Amino acid sequence: MSENFTVDDIDRNIVAQLRINGRATNQQIADNLGLTAATVSTRIRRMEDADKLRVVAVSDFAAHGYNVLMEMAIEVDGRPASEVAAELAEFEEVFAAHLVTGRYDIDMLVVLRDFDELPKLLFEKFSKVRGIHSMTPAIAVDVIKYKFDIAPIEARN
Amino acid sequence: MSKVQIDDLDRQIIDILGNDARISNRKIAADLNVTEGTVRGRIKRLQQERLMTFTAITDFGLENTSKLAFIGVQACVEDVRSIATKIADVPLVNAVTITLGRFNIWVVCLFDTLDSLFEVASERILAIPGVHHVETSIAVKTIKYNARVARITAADLSLTPEEADNSA
Repeated sequence: MSENFTVDDIDRNIVAQLRINGRATNQQIADNLGLTAATVSTRIRRMEDADKLRVVAVSDFAAHGYNVLMEMAIEVDGRPASEVAAELAEFEEVFAAHLVTGRYDIDMLVVLRDFDELPKLLFEKFSKVRGIHSMTPAIAVDVIKYKFDIAPIEARN
Repeated sequence: MSKVQIDDLDRQIIDILGNDARISNRKIAADLNVTEGTVRGRIKRLQQERLMTFTAITDFGLENTSKLAFIGVQACVEDVRSIATKIADVPLVNAVTITLGRFNIWVVCLFDTLDSLFEVASERILAIPGVHHVETSIAVKTIKYNARVARITAADLSLTPEEADNSA
């Protein structure tokens, strides 16, 4: 939850401009919205400093050689799910890990360069994590929609 | 998909811009010891090949769709693609993937209240002809999330490389 951090229409308009072109200059955004470049700069910095906004390049999985994407649902047994998830999140193949309600306890996005990497992932990594009762994958066959402009933003080091 | 051809310089540019898209080409060029024209050319190519795009990522909590849920959908196999396309048009649906597994469509939904999640899963998606079953799972806590790497679909190509070039 955003503790008392609020945005107004000016912030929203600036974000909208950045979504169209993340590399627009403060002056270009200011001109489009009838603001000063200083205001644009201050507004962007305020949202970035509060970890509410990141203006970044998003790269495709393919740019990193990741050709296999799968969603993986995990049932935990005999150990807190948060501990198991934290341990699984250490692996580079795990791009996302969430604690979830329902039949399964952890939901993950796992990416691989190809299926040959699966034995190593399974036998040398996942099978070393205590508390996994079952792993149920769903292999991505085709991505129809993938919006990436709203996401949990981690604090910057 | 054909094999992607990118080299170390491309990767370094992706890394720098993945941290902050508003760094100028001049600064990148100086940091990597190449010309500004090279940086501009590389960025243009990465965009054209849909390997990189620029955007403003806002945090889940910033607007009122602050919660994340997954909706597994079992749908008629022969119509799965057209059903997935219909699901992609439902408001609050953030991502739709056709999968091979316990569901054949995997949906990511951003929502605010349980009512709005119920509306998406049980009123809208379940009402699409050919959808047999939906199963909702709410993300209570996100342990890890990499927002910098995603699938860039054709719909994201709103920004032309020329527009990107306008940045200083």
